[in-house]
Amino acid sequence: MKLIDITLKDLTRSLRSRTIYFFAIGLPLFTAVLFYFAFSGQDEDQGSFELPITETIIVNFDKPQAEFGFFSAGQILTDFLNSEELSSIVHVREFDSEDLATEAINSQDAGVAIVIPEGYTSSAFNPEGEVDIIIYQDPTLAIGPAIVRSIVFQFVDGFAGAIITADVVSQQFETRAVEVSQALLQEVTQEYSTWVQSFGQLQSEGEHPLLSIEAPTTAREPTGLGTQIITQMMSGMLIFYSFFTGANVAQSILQEDEEGTLARLFTSPTSRATILGGKFTTVFITTAGQIIITLIATTFIFNIDWGDPLLLAIAILAIVIASSSFGIMIMSMLKTVRQAGPVLGVVLTISGMAGGLFTSAMPSVPPAFETVTLFTPQGWNHRLWKLAMEGAQLGEMALPLIVILIMGVVFFVIGTLVFRKRFA
Amino acid sequence: MRIFDLAIKDLKQIIRDRRAFLFLLLMPITFTFFFGWVFGSFGVSEDDPRLPIGWVSQDTENILSSEMYSLLEASDAIRPVVVKKEDVNKVVESVQEGELAAAVLFPVGFKSETGTDETVKITLIADPFTPAGQTATNAIQAALTRLLGSDQMAQISTKAFDELEGFDNEVEYRKYFDEGFNLAIQAWEQPPLGLRIVQLTGEGAEQEFNPYAQASPGMLIQFTVFGLFNSASLLVIERKTKTLQRMMTTPISRSEMLAGHILAMFCVVFIQQMILIVLGQFLGLEYFREPIALLLLVFAFALFATSYGLLIGVLAKTEEQVIMIAMLSMFLLSALGGAWFPLEITGEAFTAIGHLTPTAWAMDGFQNLILRGQGLESVFLSVGIILAYAVLCFALAVWRFRYE
Repeated sequence: MKLIDITLKDLTRSLRSRTIYFFAIGLPLFTAVLFYFAFSGQDEDQGSFELPITETIIVNFDKPQAEFGFFSAGQILTDFLNSEELSSIVHVREFDSEDLATEAINSQDAGVAIVIPEGYTSSAFNPEGEVDIIIYQDPTLAIGPAIVRSIVFQFVDGFAGAIITADVVSQQFETRAVEVSQALLQEVTQEYSTWVQSFGQLQSEGEHPLLSIEAPTTAREPTGLGTQIITQMMSGMLIFYSFFTGANVAQSILQEDEEGTLARLFTSPTSRATILGGKFTTVFITTAGQIIITLIATTFIFNIDWGDPLLLAIAILAIVIASSSFGIMIMSMLKTVRQAGPVLGVVLTISGMAGGLFTSAMPSVPPAFETVTLFTPQGWNHRLWKLAMEGAQLGEMALPLIVILIMGVVFFVIGTLVFRKRFA
Repeated sequence: MRIFDLAIKDLKQIIRDRRAFLFLLLMPITFTFFFGWVFGSFGVSEDDPRLPIGWVSQDTENILSSEMYSLLEASDAIRPVVVKKEDVNKVVESVQEGELAAAVLFPVGFKSETGTDETVKITLIADPFTPAGQTATNAIQAALTRLLGSDQMAQISTKAFDELEGFDNEVEYRKYFDEGFNLAIQAWEQPPLGLRIVQLTGEGAEQEFNPYAQASPGMLIQFTVFGLFNSASLLVIERKTKTLQRMMTTPISRSEMLAGHILAMFCVVFIQQMILIVLGQFLGLEYFREPIALLLLVFAFALFATSYGLLIGVLAKTEEQVIMIAMLSMFLLSALGGAWFPLEITGEAFTAIGHLTPTAWAMDGFQNLILRGQGLESVFLSVGIILAYAVLCFALAVWRFRYE
């Protein structure tokens, strides 16, 4: 009963602390709102990725020539980039000067400039031709220019294929001492161009005749990129703030020690074990409460699907054990509350960073970093959390769960021993 | 002189506090190295920066399989990692976990003909909702188009020769076709038309990717904002310990008091920024290429940080409040300012709102110098806007301080 009384007393004190509310609930939800606001636009259609519109300048020096029936490859590329189907990805303006185009990029008026050189068309019909389209891009942008490059690359590959076709025909005919006429070369390049256009059309409609694209299967329903990013970021932040809460609540032991109330408690008939036990129970309950409230809030507000409830419950239990015991151990090594601030900030931030909590949304990280995460309780908690979200089998979750439990026990024992020695 | 005395007193207090060293220098340096390391690798081999994709061929005798592999190897964006047929399930898991950007399963009996009952498709496993998955998908599709294109070229050439000269027998036909296919595949190794990509860095020279280009200015901005709590705490402690009230009974005027605190805060923030900039320079970023532009930008941002810290110190009642406001500010201004992630990957609305903050303009200014390689004129707008925010925060702080 005394244990419960002490737990209730400490819980009441914690719940009166604005700091606890701020770090346990306020800051995690604020972070979630920020990320949601930043990335929710990526989910306009369920499962689709909304690409940013890239301001693109085209400088086309490749004018139609009578020699090639007033055909201009540069003009075809320009018309293609100006087409309705690409209007949601690129916004095109046409300039007639390369210098003006680069100036526009330097002044951040455009992200990409495509310069089609003079004689580009004649290179398409000339087996010896070698000419490159130049793409100038803003070095601070990555996604937009990559998209434009991909579009232009497909187009250029089509023309390169036409040149190679003519070249192959020329070589094979010459080897057999058969004369090859310009008309034949034009005919074969046209035949290849027709093929590549219809093939490209099938690809863009998602009907590749010889390629089947499948997403890697998981137990979860596929979600849009924005929701994925938010979910991954929030999983890292959830664990990070849980460790913060655990340590913050454990700090109350130091606080009571400084205020002198702890010493008075120890003079009472209540055993030290009961007193410390009550305080540790408060840490567990507060941390668990923080995680559950954050999960409920993010589920309803941001529509995040955290996965199977049973697996989630296991992951939550593991976080509570790890974060509480880690917090107790850290606090046991400190003398004053004033020390706790910087230590909490630095130790938890660096161990959280090393545990991969700040890079949870990155598609992949260096292999060496994956190894580093194994040395932190946050890293193991993150692994377990990801497995739970992906609907892994209980057997797969066994290893990280066992490691977390062992770490939790070790931290708890160390913390308890140090506190008992200190308050002996 | 009193201003300097007060400033020196504040500086001594800050330097004696170990938290100052931790949050002003140790943390930003650690974060800069950490994020630079992570951004720089993206889970790929340091020897080969291309995205790894799994390659499983169930028909290694098929010429199309070996040629497809060669085309994938020649890609600029991806590198194939050979996986045994028996390990197909592991490859799928690797894609799920992000170790591989994609996986290609080349089936038995694959042919280039389509629309028949015997058509067998290559399977590509990739997450279409990740940038790595999309990049890998595009690159694999491009390689397959080249493969099938080569087959098409051989068919076109064979048909053209057949129409003109004809083949004596099936063997000759086959030999001609195979020769044409091989010529086409070889030609793709050095295609006649290509793209030349030029990153505009202002001096016309191409710049290699530097993973610290985001992390260095981003962490500088983030921790400059957060480091305010050191300076702001001083004011709060002075008020709490009644030192402020005692100082007000001395001949030192309120203006001199404010000036002394501002000077100390400014020195701390300015020195912090310069140390982090020197670190960035050491990491290969050209901060000092335009020293006057850099100095202007650092000066303006230090002024903003100082006036904002002053405002926090004047408004907050306790140290606890100072830390809370400092943390909230750090989160909000860093996220909106593009210090954590480039604003390019967020929506238009977020980017527009982000540019209502001085941190976004500071980030633009730094990137104009280190990434775009631009000159003095490129920072004028950023400096102007940041100074405007500095004046606003300062005016509010002075008004509140006088009222107090």
